Amino acid sequence: MNRVPLFLCGMIFLAACKNQEESTNYGKLAIHFEHYQNGQPLHFDSMMYVNAAGNPYEVSEVQWFISDIILIGKDGSMVSIDDGKFAHYVDTNIPQTLRWDVDKEIFAGEYTTVKMTFGIKGEKNKPNMYTDIPESNMMWPMHMGGDQGGYHYMKLNGFWKNAANERQPFNFHLGVGQQINSNNEITGFIQNWFEIELPASAFTLEENKLTNIGIRMNVEKWWESPNVYDHNVYGGSIMKNQEAMGKAVENGRKVFSFSGILADSKI
Amino acid sequence: MKALINFNPANCSMTRKNTQKGNFFYGIIMAGLLAVITWSCSTDNTADNPNEFATTPYIIPEAPNFPRNLNIPADNPMTVEGVELGRYLFYDGRLSGNTASHLLMSCGTCHIQQNGFEAGINNPKFPGGRTHGLPTVDYPEGRPTPNFMLPIVNTVYNNQGYLWNGYVNESNAELGNGAKSKDFNYRNIESLVWMSITSPFEMNSTVEKSVAAIDAIPMYKPMFKAAFGTEEVTYDRISKAIAQFVRSLVSQNSKFHKYLRQDAELTVQEKLGHDLFFSEEADCFHCHGGSILMTTNQFFNNAKDRFFDREEHDRHSVSGDPMDIGAYRAPSLINIARTAPYMHDGRFKNLDEVIEFYSTGLVYSDYVHPLMKNVRQNGVQLDDEEKAALKAFLHTLTDEAFLKDSRYDCPPELKQWTGR
Repeated sequence: MNRVPLFLCGMIFLAACKNQEESTNYGKLAIHFEHYQNGQPLHFDSMMYVNAAGNPYEVSEVQWFISDIILIGKDGSMVSIDDGKFAHYVDTNIPQTLRWDVDKEIFAGEYTTVKMTFGIKGEKNKPNMYTDIPESNMMWPMHMGGDQGGYHYMKLNGFWKNAANERQPFNFHLGVGQQINSNNEITGFIQNWFEIELPASAFTLEENKLTNIGIRMNVEKWWESPNVYDHNVYGGSIMKNQEAMGKAVENGRKVFSFSGILADSKI
Repeated sequence: MKALINFNPANCSMTRKNTQKGNFFYGIIMAGLLAVITWSCSTDNTADNPNEFATTPYIIPEAPNFPRNLNIPADNPMTVEGVELGRYLFYDGRLSGNTASHLLMSCGTCHIQQNGFEAGINNPKFPGGRTHGLPTVDYPEGRPTPNFMLPIVNTVYNNQGYLWNGYVNESNAELGNGAKSKDFNYRNIESLVWMSITSPFEMNSTVEKSVAAIDAIPMYKPMFKAAFGTEEVTYDRISKAIAQFVRSLVSQNSKFHKYLRQDAELTVQEKLGHDLFFSEEADCFHCHGGSILMTTNQFFNNAKDRFFDREEHDRHSVSGDPMDIGAYRAPSLINIARTAPYMHDGRFKNLDEVIEFYSTGLVYSDYVHPLMKNVRQNGVQLDDEEKAALKAFLHTLTDEAFLKDSRYDCPPELKQWTGR
């Protein structure tokens, strides 16, 4: 075998690496996803919380998509962190999903705001775009609007104490809503994803370093403001209840916060 | 409720872990590796060695919307020769280490192709579908298996562990009883081979005895050579070949699959059942229908019982999570009409009983999974038309081509040895 071409490949590879070494105004970003309740890390499977409507409740799992994260610079410039995937799946059952190591390098410097989409925008939420577990398990059925948004934005599963003081499951699932007429027929669909700018989300992405930031879901706020959401009113499932999903989406704009620069940020 | 999910970040993104600072050193390492490759290629080139054995890659057929993250270990790539050897071993009752006809047991003794590779409720050897091991002094009728069977279908797409409780999974660091090497672990389909050989509920043999029995059969020598390069019969090779065959059992052509590909139409009743299945009202899909596999491959306490006394077999025994008490895998529903009885304990004899259970038979416990959201109403309360429609839809999941595929059938020369 002629070894010369492979040797040359190796030398070219070395040279390329040296050029990247000389480029210094970039850094790496890792985003950590946190789930909190009243300012404290969420405890699962324990009926220890009470929502704004007075429902005692517990959370079993939270599974959701975040997408189209954009960093806004001091000069108003916008940097998409799309590194080949525009959406990230977060699952409290799967620790690996609680961190997104953004693959691409990002301009180092000061950013004033982190912008995000809860769920996935309709035009990007294509049915069957995920073929593998766990993302594929978020499928939203076609006849319920799956061709308008192929995947749940979120499954938040748990239990509440109902009016009879019984522990009853709730499936607080958000995705494409349906317009339903008086004959209980679906006449149209409603996109429930939303964009938000995280309050107080200024941070500095350090040059030639890994910067870790946190995005926090404050679970209690799904049911707090501006709509007091009562599980006894909306019951255990809301995928076909746009009134409930609509109120949840309005509340959702206050659900997320920026938890700042996190520790272990050095390479 | 912590499901054990084998998450593959490659699903979502390309991974490039090196940083700019690390790139220079990474480059040095890569250049070194290239030099090593250059050297090794010159000394290990099949073109220079005409006696080098060659295998033909076995390709899992691609079909729209099927998973791309295949469970094929790097040390056991699928080959045509390996799959064919595995088919023979799968159906050869001498794998039990025995030659007497009443003591033969193969994988194919219990895993019947036309029953979705389950025993089947009308199996003359295993009445009611209840399987048991080979007879022993203490159990002259054979020791009953703790659980009823799971189907063998589309396992190549499953990276979430095996068995009802997911005990066999890539994260399992335990080694088997009397383990003499890393071969005897609990990590993948390969592990299930030695587990079946030594299980008192199945072959009740030893690995040494089984390997010797296969080694004594001249027919296998050229097959091992074709698959692995030499005629040597080892446990490692036996387990790898059988695992390759099991991974080749792919079902992609039920009426439901064809409907999704727009190659078939559902009847009005089947479509109603389909829409119920994928609805909040009947709500089967959150556990079974997240993907084209008709399973999420996750574990649920599905409200069958109020009390639990089989903790050694449930998901809790693997995860340690109290919320997994009484939880078992949601199996694939592909070929479900052929795989009665149902549930891990076989309590339901037909689909009507299953549908009635989910409609009116749920019972609350503190461990019920929240996806069983209608548990306080004892079920989803379907009417007769809805039950019939749901059943009709479940029948569209039968893949006749798979159930009759001659590539998966017992080789004719092994019919007398299969142990049925």
